[in-house]
Amino acid sequence: MNEHKKGRMESASGGVSRRGFLAATGAAALTTGLSTPAILRAQGATIKIGMPTILSGRVAILGETASVGANMAVDAFNAAGGIDGRQVELVIRDTKGNPDEAAKITRELLNSDGCELILNSEASGGTFAVHEVMRDTGQYCVHAISETSALTADPKNQVAWIFRAGRQGIHDAISGGLYASDLVKAGANRWATCSPDYSYGRDTTAEFVEYLGIFAPELEIVTQTWPKIFQPDYTENITALLNAAPDAMYTCLWGGDLSAFFDQSSLYGLFEQFQAVAVNLGDAPVLEAIKNLPAGIHSGNRYHKDIPDTEANEQWNAKFRESGKLPTNWGWQAWTATRFVLEALEETKGDTNRDKLTDATKGRSIDCPLGIDGTVTMRETDNTLINYAIGYGKTLAEEPHVTDFKATPWDIIAEHETAWKKSKGFI
Amino acid sequence: MKSYRMTAPGHPLRTLLIAGAGLAVLLILGLVFPSPWLRDTMTSLFASGLLAMSLHLLVGYSGLVSFGHAAYFALGGYVFGMTLQAPGYVETFGAWSLPSAMLLAMFGTGGAAFLVGLVCARLSEIYFAFLTLAFQMLFLSLIQGFVGYTGGDQGLTGGIPRPAFLGINVTQSWDRYAFCATVFVFGVLVIRLITESSFGFTLRMLRDNEARVKFLGINTYLTKVICFTLAGTLASLGGVILAIFTSAAYPEWASWTKSGEAIFMIMLGGVNTFLGPLAGALAMRIIDDVTLLYTTHTELAKGIVILFVVLVLKRGILDFALDRRRSRADRRANRDRAAAHEKERADVDS
Amino acid sequence: MFNFDALAGCLSASSCLVTQLSTGVIIGMLLFLVASGVTLIFGVLHVVNFAHGAFYMIGAYSAYTGYSLTGSYYLAIAFGTLVAGIIGILFERLAISKVYKENLLMQLLVCYAFVLIADDLVKIIWGAEYLALGIPDEFRVPPYRFAGGVIPPLYIFLVCVSLAVAILCLLLIQYSRFGKIIRAAAHNATMVSVLGIRVPVYFAALFGLGCALAGMAGALAAPVRSLTPGMGVSILIDSFVVTVIGGMGSIPGALLAALILGMTRSFGSLGFPLFVDGMMFMMMVAILVFRPQGLLGERPAR
Repeated sequence: MNEHKKGRMESASGGVSRRGFLAATGAAALTTGLSTPAILRAQGATIKIGMPTILSGRVAILGETASVGANMAVDAFNAAGGIDGRQVELVIRDTKGNPDEAAKITRELLNSDGCELILNSEASGGTFAVHEVMRDTGQYCVHAISETSALTADPKNQVAWIFRAGRQGIHDAISGGLYASDLVKAGANRWATCSPDYSYGRDTTAEFVEYLGIFAPELEIVTQTWPKIFQPDYTENITALLNAAPDAMYTCLWGGDLSAFFDQSSLYGLFEQFQAVAVNLGDAPVLEAIKNLPAGIHSGNRYHKDIPDTEANEQWNAKFRESGKLPTNWGWQAWTATRFVLEALEETKGDTNRDKLTDATKGRSIDCPLGIDGTVTMRETDNTLINYAIGYGKTLAEEPHVTDFKATPWDIIAEHETAWKKSKGFI
Repeated sequence: MKSYRMTAPGHPLRTLLIAGAGLAVLLILGLVFPSPWLRDTMTSLFASGLLAMSLHLLVGYSGLVSFGHAAYFALGGYVFGMTLQAPGYVETFGAWSLPSAMLLAMFGTGGAAFLVGLVCARLSEIYFAFLTLAFQMLFLSLIQGFVGYTGGDQGLTGGIPRPAFLGINVTQSWDRYAFCATVFVFGVLVIRLITESSFGFTLRMLRDNEARVKFLGINTYLTKVICFTLAGTLASLGGVILAIFTSAAYPEWASWTKSGEAIFMIMLGGVNTFLGPLAGALAMRIIDDVTLLYTTHTELAKGIVILFVVLVLKRGILDFALDRRRSRADRRANRDRAAAHEKERADVDS
Repeated sequence: MFNFDALAGCLSASSCLVTQLSTGVIIGMLLFLVASGVTLIFGVLHVVNFAHGAFYMIGAYSAYTGYSLTGSYYLAIAFGTLVAGIIGILFERLAISKVYKENLLMQLLVCYAFVLIADDLVKIIWGAEYLALGIPDEFRVPPYRFAGGVIPPLYIFLVCVSLAVAILCLLLIQYSRFGKIIRAAAHNATMVSVLGIRVPVYFAALFGLGCALAGMAGALAAPVRSLTPGMGVSILIDSFVVTVIGGMGSIPGALLAALILGMTRSFGSLGFPLFVDGMMFMMMVAILVFRPQGLLGERPAR
């Protein structure tokens, strides 16, 4: 029976018991398919990592680039021999951006596809669904994409065997506030915001405004406009901004929305009127999509081949582009999360026991081209990522599109993050 | 619309026995094949099945096309979840928390459906459909607006406390499956009792010829409102099942894609049979799973299958099957009759 | 929630007033352009084209390809319109014509299937990344200033095209021979075909025209939108709101409704920024409850 199963397990994305159930006509096949699959601990068996992500709909690019990043890490690992010859396999499934689907697929990955751990690459909404499933089933999980700070900061959500290997909203807020306070001190004290009206947009903007106010109390918010996410026409938001006549504006619009907003704003000559700070501009697909990028926009970094400006990053960029896709924030986060998982597996010598993997991951530092000094660390106190490159630069109309990058020091970030947690009652 | 094939009105006792048998089958299935995958799949099918069956009361039996039915499904899940998450609720009610939250969800949703029904039932056809859709969109923006209560677009986070009651602990796989199966069978039973009652036949008459129903002195407006309320209440049961299963509630449950999926399940399975929507729900799930084995382009596959059902079969799957069986029976009856005639003539001649 | 000071302040300042009024007109005319196809098809064929958003998307993507091939914005628009129209005719012949007699749900199902297929095909052909046309050079000029307000020339062009579309459609349906035949055929196809007129051809042509309008809207707006598979979804809802409020089948009604909605969005983003969407749906509910035939529609409530 084991050999029968092993042969089936080599399939790319089909599940063992699903395929069995659907192809079966006889009771025997049915029973094989539906009985609880034995988790193979035999020597030489592939270790399967389940990866729910978004591969369809408007944000399909999230899943596509996350898949490239994760596969890059796994392929390199397998090519270097794996774990004493044992290979690692990613089972990537589409959740369609739907939280129920995400929960269902996570359960299926664990129950019928033979995955013993989960590399969650769903966006913030679906991540909470996956989080609850992993809390229920008690298996090891690393969240790669979600930036919602409460996921790891709020004690209600903290689970010992669940980690987050992506950036956090609060870090971005502190970094942005610090950078922008220089602009305020240079005279731009009237600000406006234009961000998407959903939890990420609202929370991120509120936090940015709060920290800007902390670092530069002369701040005055003159107007805040909230387009809906995926709204095609920003005209009323743009004219509202023009009417308020601020000195500078902040936006956390991202992806296709940001490039549409930029195109429409340039029709109105918005960027000649005042400065702009765009957190999500520094992402390769956005920079390359906006034709005629205006120069001098303050841009946060998402993924850029020169941030940090190291050889390792250039190589990572080149390797990523071999897939035919442009590297994104999601791509590097998925890669980093996979690296944590792989190094933990290496330390436990392929033992997928949840507690052993947890011990191997807690507090770990790994080599990462996106870390400020070539490494990133999984903070021990709350299982979240720190020491990744974070800061702002200014745009250029031509390649490499972003210059003059100022990194935000992590000690300042950590200090304010602690104060923020206290204010929220998390510690 | 094709007229409903008249089956003999089911005696309530017979219906109850069939429901009991159905529940027994589901429970045995869960025991013989204790695979978590099967139970999870069945549980989510219970939820979407109830959504589709409750909508069927409106679409199939009353001829009222509602584009915004998912609102009541979501409302059920949210009221259930928010009640149990309310500070002090679980402490106060202890073992009765879960059942009382369920009842609250049903009655709360029923009340909302009643109010919306009062407004919508004055209109007909496409206008009715769009008004139900508008109310659903309003409801969705309310969910997303009151972030403090509903969690906004993240949904209810932090998990829903589900304390044990009457020895049932729905955080355990078997208990959860058995409980959800029971709730599901109960919901379908109620729908069946409604459709086989005299009220159910009033609904069918309403669908076929509203003017005639009015001539009989029946208040069609009130009938529509009652039907709408019942359908909404039963949809909320589906929402409760899903909330128990996922330990959360999400605004996507009130999106028009969810409403649309419910309609497709009904159309796919057959709008003229009682179990059509369930067949449709199962079919959609099978299409999804089978496609995933070969490709990631599930949308393409689903689109092609739907086109096939609409253009080639021209009706839902169960309708198609029943029509085939009926036409085959008719042909056989004709053949027998023709053979009998031939024999008679032969006898007369000889 | 309600910011009356901002609203009052704006109404008294001429620069703000001009900008917001022009914004309202711009948003409104773009909405009308997008919704005109749905209204046309429903008004004549009594079919609700739920696949409208997909044709908008097809027009936009085809224009993108056209632009990368020819470098001319106008040729790209023509290309987008043509492709959407042709696919519309094919869709009508192969699928929609089979469900004319059927109920609303069959039409919905067929359109939904088309949307699923179109979304996936677009993803396969053009990929999932966001594409942008970029503003054509002739429009890459500073915006016009008028009484202190700001109006970009590209939008002036779009508004003019939109107005032209409105007038031409109206003339076509009300006064031309084609329009008269179509309206008669929608009323009683058998009698019209008895007169020797090939009714299916006319129906296909009209449906194609409606889809071409959707495609043209997509192509025209492409320079300032980001193209993603599934971009048709948001404009579908907008189109239905406009059509319902204006009156299903009335082109002047759709124009009026679109302008009202444009003004609501424009001034609303100053006065009640958090409730703009809610206001739109409330208007839709109000119309459906009190005047179901819409502002300028002609069908009675029941």
